[in-house]
Amino acid sequence: MSDGLARRQAALVAALVAGGTDPAGFDAARLAATRAALLRKRAGLVAAAWPLLAADAGADWQARFGAHFEGVAPYGPEREGWDLARELAAAGRLGAGARRELAAREAALHYDGRTAPRPRNRLSRWWHRSRRERSGPRSGPSDG
Amino acid sequence: MTGVPGGTGVGWRSGVAAVLDDVDGLAFHEVIAESLRPGAVPASLRRRPVVVHGVRLSPGSPEGVDPGRVAHLAACAAATGAALVSEHIAFTRAGGIEAGHLLPLPRTREALDVLVANVTATRAELDVPLALEPIAALFDWPDDEFDEAGFLHRLHDRTGAPLLLDVANVFVNARNRGRDPRADVDALLAGLPPGAVAYCHVAGHAADAAGLLHDTHTDPVPDAVLALLTHTVAQLPVPPPVMLERDGRYPPAAVLRAELDAVAAAAGHAAPCRAGAGAGHGAGPVAAPAADGPGPT
Repeated sequence: MSDGLARRQAALVAALVAGGTDPAGFDAARLAATRAALLRKRAGLVAAAWPLLAADAGADWQARFGAHFEGVAPYGPEREGWDLARELAAAGRLGAGARRELAAREAALHYDGRTAPRPRNRLSRWWHRSRRERSGPRSGPSDG
Repeated sequence: MTGVPGGTGVGWRSGVAAVLDDVDGLAFHEVIAESLRPGAVPASLRRRPVVVHGVRLSPGSPEGVDPGRVAHLAACAAATGAALVSEHIAFTRAGGIEAGHLLPLPRTREALDVLVANVTATRAELDVPLALEPIAALFDWPDDEFDEAGFLHRLHDRTGAPLLLDVANVFVNARNRGRDPRADVDALLAGLPPGAVAYCHVAGHAADAAGLLHDTHTDPVPDAVLALLTHTVAQLPVPPPVMLERDGRYPPAAVLRAELDAVAAAAGHAAPCRAGAGAGHGAGPVAAPAADGPGPT
């Protein structure tokens, strides 16, 4: 049913959020306004999932998010924020709060950069925990 | 009518739950289905009647509705004892890509067929009525066969689905197209049977640099939208339930209460806040609520 409508909706969505060209016949200025509104809403969702990452950018958050994600098909606020945080951290452009936020996320979840992050496995959770425990006493009585 | 309690309600959001708990005169809450886990309904949602409001069902998708999303709507309705579920006349994904928000459909027979099929499939799984909400959209498709009223009349004729009439959406759609919002309300209501409007939304909007109005839900409801609400209510046999949508940048509690009272006054309802716990700042009731706030609209 409605194969034509499905195809045309797909072309429209691609134009609005995934860098596709505007379908013929639509008002280009109105599509551009819609594109900006969708990107703003998306940046807001990522800010909610990564509050310190957004706070780190301050008033530049929308612009920073847009520079990275305009024309990139949405793939979920959790992963989008994670990718942006990793890239900024690698470039040395991440403030202390956002670095802590990223580190906490990396410690709790395994994210391969392509698929949904998942809880680290039991072995790695044990390793993280025991490393904390090992590092605890070491900072105490250091003789012996 | 259609099970939604009469009076003024508000969209329940966890960020303002504590403030809303204190407003004894609220008639109902609407909760976003995608933010609710049916097994963990917050206590403050159990204080009042609830309407479940979906935002990602995408009933305008020719691929059909996702049975998992339909089941979630049904589970949310059951868990909250909702009298009604509502969704949008829109699509939100296509070609495997999530757009991230509600997008308009072409007003064509083809789109009507898709909506009717998806609404029928959804209703088959719900124990309560499904109301449909026309959205705010910044653009139209180039191949419309009907105007908005004609499209909605046909949809109502074919589904019998009650309407969730968002007065703020009508307002911004009309203004963004150079039309008179009152004329759009009149054209819409003229072709619907009495009682077709299940309830109404109102919300604030903001203008962008080009002067286009965006339905933000984060700005105060301007007087012009309240006036359009009054105009709408005057066309209906009885004042419908009306609900304020506020999705962020929450104002201080006293300002939110004043806004709820202003919405109720415009709708011909009793003031929900004057009857309840006194406003936080005892003194000085604001004479002209909803008029302050960032940026005139």
